[in-house]
Parts: sequence; structure tokens; C-alpha cells
Amino acid sequence: MTSIAPQEFWLLLPEMVLAIFGMALLVAGTTGRGIGSRMAAMASLVGVGAATILVVWTQGQATLGVPILAGMFVLDGFALYWKVLFLVATALTVFLSARFIEEGGYRAGEFYSLLLLATTGMMLMVSGFNLLSIWISLELMALSSYILAGYFKHEQRSNEASLKYFVLGALSSGILLYGISLLYGATSTLALPDLSRSLSVAVLHGDLLSAVGWILLAVGLFFKVSAAPFHVWTPDVYVGAPTPVTGYLAVASKAASFAILVRIFYQGLAPLVIDWQIVVAAVATLSMIWGNIAALTQTNVKRMLAYSSIAHAGYILMGVLAANETGLWALMFYLLAYSLFTLGAFGTVILLERREYAGETLSDYAGLARRAPFLAASMLIFLLALTGLPPTGGFFGKVYLFAAAIEAGWTWVAVVGVLTSAISLYYYMAVVVQMYLKDSDATTPIPMRAPGLVAAIGFCAVVTVILGLLPGVFVDLAKSSILPLSWNLL
Amino acid sequence: MFDWVLQVPILSIICYLPLAGAVIIVVFMRGTSTLAIQRFATLVAAVDFVVSVPLWFTFERQGELFQFRESANWIEAIGARYEFGIDGIALLLVLLTTFLGVAAFLSSWSAIQVREKEYYIFMLLLQTGMLGVFMAMDFFLFYVFWEVMLVPMYFLIGIWGGPRRLYAAIKFFLYTLVGSVLMLLGILALYFYNSTGLLGWGGLGNPRSFFIPQFHEISSQIPPDLQFWIFLVFFVGFAIKVPMFPFHTWLPDAHVEAPTAGSVILAGVLLKMGTYGFVRLSLPILPDATLKLLPWMAGLSIVGILYGALVAMAQKDMKKLVAYSSVSHLGFVMLGVFALNTAGLNGAVLQMINHGLSTGALFLLVGVIYERRHTRMIADYGGISSEMPLFATIFMVITLSSIGLPTLNGFIGEFTILVGAFNRTWWWALLAVIGIVLGAAYMLWMYQRVFFGPLKNPENKGLEDLNGRELAYLIPIVAMCFWIGLYPKPFFDIMEKPVDYIVQKVDPEYAAAVADSIEPAAGADLLAEIED
Repeated sequence: MTSIAPQEFWLLLPEMVLAIFGMALLVAGTTGRGIGSRMAAMASLVGVGAATILVVWTQGQATLGVPILAGMFVLDGFALYWKVLFLVATALTVFLSARFIEEGGYRAGEFYSLLLLATTGMMLMVSGFNLLSIWISLELMALSSYILAGYFKHEQRSNEASLKYFVLGALSSGILLYGISLLYGATSTLALPDLSRSLSVAVLHGDLLSAVGWILLAVGLFFKVSAAPFHVWTPDVYVGAPTPVTGYLAVASKAASFAILVRIFYQGLAPLVIDWQIVVAAVATLSMIWGNIAALTQTNVKRMLAYSSIAHAGYILMGVLAANETGLWALMFYLLAYSLFTLGAFGTVILLERREYAGETLSDYAGLARRAPFLAASMLIFLLALTGLPPTGGFFGKVYLFAAAIEAGWTWVAVVGVLTSAISLYYYMAVVVQMYLKDSDATTPIPMRAPGLVAAIGFCAVVTVILGLLPGVFVDLAKSSILPLSWNLL
Repeated sequence: MFDWVLQVPILSIICYLPLAGAVIIVVFMRGTSTLAIQRFATLVAAVDFVVSVPLWFTFERQGELFQFRESANWIEAIGARYEFGIDGIALLLVLLTTFLGVAAFLSSWSAIQVREKEYYIFMLLLQTGMLGVFMAMDFFLFYVFWEVMLVPMYFLIGIWGGPRRLYAAIKFFLYTLVGSVLMLLGILALYFYNSTGLLGWGGLGNPRSFFIPQFHEISSQIPPDLQFWIFLVFFVGFAIKVPMFPFHTWLPDAHVEAPTAGSVILAGVLLKMGTYGFVRLSLPILPDATLKLLPWMAGLSIVGILYGALVAMAQKDMKKLVAYSSVSHLGFVMLGVFALNTAGLNGAVLQMINHGLSTGALFLLVGVIYERRHTRMIADYGGISSEMPLFATIFMVITLSSIGLPTLNGFIGEFTILVGAFNRTWWWALLAVIGIVLGAAYMLWMYQRVFFGPLKNPENKGLEDLNGRELAYLIPIVAMCFWIGLYPKPFFDIMEKPVDYIVQKVDPEYAAAVADSIEPAAGADLLAEIED
């Protein structure tokens, strides 16, 4: 057992601050008459802001890439990139939630508390350097998410979503943990670098135990990123959960799961690259085909976005599959762009929802271009980005992912990728058809209440276009954040 | 007089002027009347044309291949750059775009009666997209413009189109998107081959770059197998756009449903992007595959010529007839391209312009009469030449231009293509000539049914003849048809260098052999003699 220097704890200050804010909100929310919605939102924004500043500050204090706290955690450029991304996504989610929670009549304190705790879990997870610390952080994220999905406790659909999410999520966590235990049995270590070293020996011996172990581990992770065939929970949970939560799950949760998937595959399972590439290729292909085809017939926008999120898991897996530097930064860039345009799309859905679940069906979008031109134009940008058309960040993200796959020699996966993205045009355009090409009976302008929400949508739209016109800055950002790493694979 | 053109980034100005116009409409013209918006948008298009005219005068015919170069960093991480530049072929297409743009905007004044503001915004965005495609010298930039342009076109068909507009719009979008994403894979394959290698094809080790002239340079080093695959995916992308048989099925739907100006832009400019893609990219970058697949390409072109003509003959709807005639005419262009000699390519490039002018004008003319009678069925007309003598005259000129009557532009293009095709394989020309005969048949037959005979339908009595605005956009097109028909030399001069370059690049041996047996630029010289 290595000794732990007390000052190393300070390096996790951002996570601690966020957790303290979360717990304070919990206390404030449950005592007396609770905390006002606006107040709670402000407090969580302050917490997120403080954490962001601290993340950047602690990064300067740490020796990058050197494990801390007995090898449990590591601070490196990769972790920093993701932490900032999670915090931005969380802040946007707060903007998305404010009015929604207020109008739903639910208590605000616990909601934001869970949101901040889930984010704490993500931040710890992406810094995790040991399968055990990773698993515990993952559970913190997952348990908070289960409750968030069921936050509208008077709504049956929300209950159903929460229960489904919990049962299947717990199952997948169990599988994940079982895989970890098998790997521990095979290699007698849980630290990623040691695991990698031991596995390179095990590979030579054709060790069955470690093979079963990593496959179970991979299955658990595929479940978390909602890749087919482990996606069955996604549509129901996305539809049933309160829409801001859906957005948060689709973006922050997915990004965090991908981040840790990459860290485990690239740093822990590096010697098995030949094996897991085959599995990843199969899962990616299946997700792209299944997600896109199932989305074709949806008439509920949230459900359509759920299937589209499965399809996107497939595209993003192409970056994992490539197992080269291009793949890594392409994945990071894509998830950045994806977070913004997906949150923007869910934000638009939220703005249209008059009370709780109204405004989800396609026909609710009819004539939107006339009733709310700004909203329709923003949604158009998000949908173009989801399809992968220029001038949006979605276009470049997809191109980089395809490029990475081709560079690595997985051309057939890229072929499936481009063809399925052409298919996806059809269902994304179905929304555009409603917004721009159909007229509705109602012609009164839709009031733009909730200025915070409108501002968040506008922010997402503007950044999505900036990512599409001048992607260079952000690509360099992603590239530089993987540089100081000792990635075993690259 | 035009020296200032060389001092400013002229291509960017031409390309982004419509975009700037669209932004001004969105931001500053909120409460403005539709009349002001339509005047303003048309003014922007007209200014864009005026600004583009000096290109014709300052382009040095014997100078560098690509001129008016602009170059800047864009995405350094992958080596994509902002590179603009045009050669003689691109110059002609840029001018065609800005020229037809003005006509399309003018024709919309009366044709578009709903959601005018959005309409003009999308039209302006479309102009920017198309101009960018012809100007981009970086493959990545080219692709971005290529895709960007789909969105406004989708809306133009989908919002202001005919009864089946939703179907036509999504069909257009899906078809072209499938083609272009496959093309993207081809682009990436070339890119990686150029730098690091790909799938067992050892690369060339060049710095990462999407610069099109660099791909031209490495063309002879690309292994034949790889060339074959890349050619196939490019082919799908470009052939859908052209459209070549059997990828043409989206075209009649899109054309029939699109509003008049949409059809004009679609036929006049958009289809040229496909042929331009072949000429600029497929041929010079993949010469080996081009030669190998030559018979197939020529075969599909000839089938397109004949099939398009035969189907056109059976049409009852004027717009559909013109749409199918486009399939036939574009078959001619492709035949000229794949004749792969100077005459063939000269003719093909000229015929791209000709088709843009005459088919664009035909759609405008059909639009004129549709606005008056709200029907495009040939059977609803008959004998209207007495009511609309000016209209009948201009329609006649354009019809003759379309079927290739000497003294008009179509003749020069088709004849030169046939000379080229004959030089390559004589019976190609023979089959293509049948297409010309059929073309004359369906066009003249339509003309006869619409304009001659007794005025049977009482609703056609007292139809208003062309007004000043309509003449203003039709007369210049007619004048252009006569110019090209009577004195095409300036056009052949400007495309001489790029055409020679491509012929040399693809098939130097054949080019040399032909040069020995007949005089260079056979088509142009022959024609000059005929004209004298």
C-alpha cells in the first residue's frame, strides 16, 4: 500500500465543492417549506461556476498524468477536457430545467441536488485510474440519474422510466462489477496501468478468465452509452423522464460513459486492442443501423431523439474503434458538438411543452416557423447538426469520425456510417417539414417566456454554427488535451 | 478599367455577396414590405452579376490555369485550407450562375405570393452555395459548399412547390445526400492515400492536404484498384447530380414540383455541378479508372440521351417534358466529357452553358404561361400564338436553340460534342444523332400543339403577352443564345487551356495521336470555317 500525502486530497477540491453544494441544496430543499426554484437554480449555477474555476486551478497544481491517492485517480488533460464539458452541460441543464420544474409544481432543491451529485460522479469517474474508483463514481452518477428520471412522481410514465432505468441499470452495473472481479481474479490488480501490463502477459497465454472479464466489462459500458443491442432501456426512459433530465442523460451521462469507456479501453485494455476492435465494430454497426431505422417511424419527438441517440452512440464508437489519435480527438470533438446541439434540441422541446408532457408529438411542430421563427431556426440548426450537414459542428464531427475509421482501415464501418446518416436525414427532416412546410391552425406567436431557457437555446445554436465554420480552435483544444498522456495504445 | 479586380478578393466578394444580402434581410428588414424585400434581393443578385462580369475581361486566357487565387488557413489540424480560384471552365459556370440568378429573381416577383421574405433568403443562400462549389480549390471546402447548397434547395421545393412538393423535396434531398456522403468517403480515401496510406495501399507520404491541384499531381501514382473504387463512389455522387441514367428519377419530380425560379436554378446551375465534378475531379485525379470505365460511361450517356428523349416525347405536362429533355441534353454533355478529346470536352463545357441558358429560359417561359393560366398541360393550350405573339417568338427561338439549329448556341455545342465522340468511337456519334432527331421531334411537336392550330379553349382568349419585366429577363438570354451561336470563339478561347490540361492529364497518348492526325482544337476550327 502506497502512502497518501494529505495534500493530494486538495486536488479533488472541485468535486468536493460540487458535492457540498449538492448536499447543501438537499438539506435546504427538505427543511421547512423548502427552497425556491429560482434560488435553487442560482445556487447550483454558483456551485458549477466555482467547480469550473477550481478544475482549471487544480489542474495547474497537479503533476499531469501522475496518479494520486494511491493510484485511485489521475489528473490529466483528458480529464480536464471532460470535466469542463460536463460542467458546461450541467449549467445548460440548469437553464433548461428552471421553468420546467416551476410549472410542474415539484420541489426544486432535491432536483438540483441530484443534478450536482450526478455531475460529481461523472467528474470523479473521468479522473478514475482504478476500476474500483471508476465503478463507485459511476454508481454515484447512475443512482442520481435513476431518481432524476422519476422526478415527476405523479406521472406514471416518469415512474415507469425510473423503474426501467433502475432495474436495467442495476443489472448492467452488476455485469460491470462482475467483469471487474473476473479481471481482478485474472490479473490481481485493478489499477489501469498495471492491468494493461498484466493483460499483455495474459494475452500470450490465451487466458479465458480475463477474456470473459473484459467482455462483461465492455457490455456494462455499452449499456451505459446506450449502444445496440444494449439499448432497450433508452426509448422508454427518454420519453418518460422529465425533458431536462432526458437532455442531461442524453448528453452528460453519455459523454461521461464514453469518456470512461475510452479510458478503460485505451489505457486498461490496450493489449487486447485486436479483440475489442471486433466487438466495438459489431456494436457500432448494429447501433447505427438499428437506431436509424427504428427512428424512421417515430412520431414522438423525444422517442425519435432517443433512437437517434442510439445511432449517435454508434457513430461515436467509430472513434473508439479507430484506436488512433485521430479517433480519440474526433470522439472528443464530436461529443462536445453533440452535447451542444442535443441539449439545444431538447431545450426547444421544453420550450414547446406547455405543461409536463404536451408538445412532444410531431404535429405540435406544425407551422412553428411562423409562430416562433427564432425557435424554428434554432431547431433547424440542431437538426442539420444531428444529420451531419454543414455548416454545423455535427458535420465536422462526423467527418472526423469517418476519417478516423478509414485511417484505421475500418472502411466498411465508415460506409455503414455514411449510408445510415443519409437515412437519418429522413426522420430529422420530418420535424423540419412540420416546422417550415406545414401550416398549423393556430397562428398566434408562441410567447418566449423563460429568458434563461431561450438564452441557452440561442447559445447552443450559435456555438453549433461556430463549431461548423471554425472547428480548428476546438480540434486543437481536443488534440492538446490528449498530448501529455501516456496512452498505451497510441 | 478592371484592374481593381486584381486588388481585391474578388471571388470571395462574388461568393458571399448574396449571403450578406440574406443576412441584411434577416437582421435589418424586419418590418419591411415584401415589395422592398423582393427589390432588394433582386438588386443584390444584379450587383453580384455586375461584379462578376469583370472576371471575363481580366481573366488571362493564356495565363495560369487557376486565377484570382485566394488562400488562407482554415482547419490546420487536418490540412484543410480556404482556397479559392477559377479556371476557364469554372469562370464560365460562375458567370452562368450570376447571370441566371438575376433572371430567376426577376421571374419570382409575380410567381411567389406567399412567405416572400423566407423565399428570397433561401434563394440568396443558394447562390452563395453554388458559387462556392465552382470556386473552391480545396476538396474539403468544395464538399462543404456542395452540401450546404442542398438545404435551401430543399426548402425552395418544399415550401413553394406544387401539390406533391413534400415528396419531391425529400426525394431530392435524400438522393443527392446519399450520393454526396459516398463521395465524402472517396475524398477521405484520396486524402489518406496522399499522406499516410490506406488499407494496404502504401501512401505517398505527402503532407496532409485537401488541395485539389495536389491530387491532380499525384494522379499517375494512385494504384489502379484504388482509382477504380474512388471513381465509383465519385461517380455515384456526380451521376446523381447530373443526373445520368439510371440515377435520374429524382429530377422530373423535383422539376415539376419546384417553383419556376427553383427549376431554373436546378436545371441551369445545379445539374452542372455534377458534370463539373467529373471534369474537375474524376477525370484528372483518376485517369486510369476513367479510361477503364470509358465504354460504360459513354454507354450510360447514350442511353440517357435516347431514354430522356423518348420519355420526353410522351409527356403531357410541359414542365415534365422540359425536365426529361434535360436528361437527354445532359447525356450529350457526359458523352462529350467521356469522348476525352479536345473537341468533346470543348463541346461538353459549352453545352453546359447552352443547356443552362436554353433550358433555364424554357422553364422561365413555362412559368410565364403558368402564371397566367395555372396549368402546364399541353392539351389545355393550342393556337395561343395569335394572343401572345411576342411570347410565341421567344419560345420559338429558345426551342430552336434547344434542338440545335445552326446560328443558335445548341448547334455549336452538340456539333462539337459529336465531332469529339466521332473521333473516339464513330458509332457513339451515330447513336447520339438519333437523340438530336428525337429532340427536334418532341420540342417542335410541343410547340405546334401549344401555339398553332385554332384557339379552341375559350379561357386562352385575351391572354396577356409578355410584360416589360418578363422581356427584361428573357431578352438577355436570347441574346446570349445568338452570341454563342454566331461567334463562339471567345468561349472556346477561354476554356482552351483547362480543356487541353484535362485531355493531357487523362490520356496523353491519345491526345498526341489525335493531334498528329487532325489539327488541334478540331471542333473550334471546324466551326469557325462553317461560320465563315
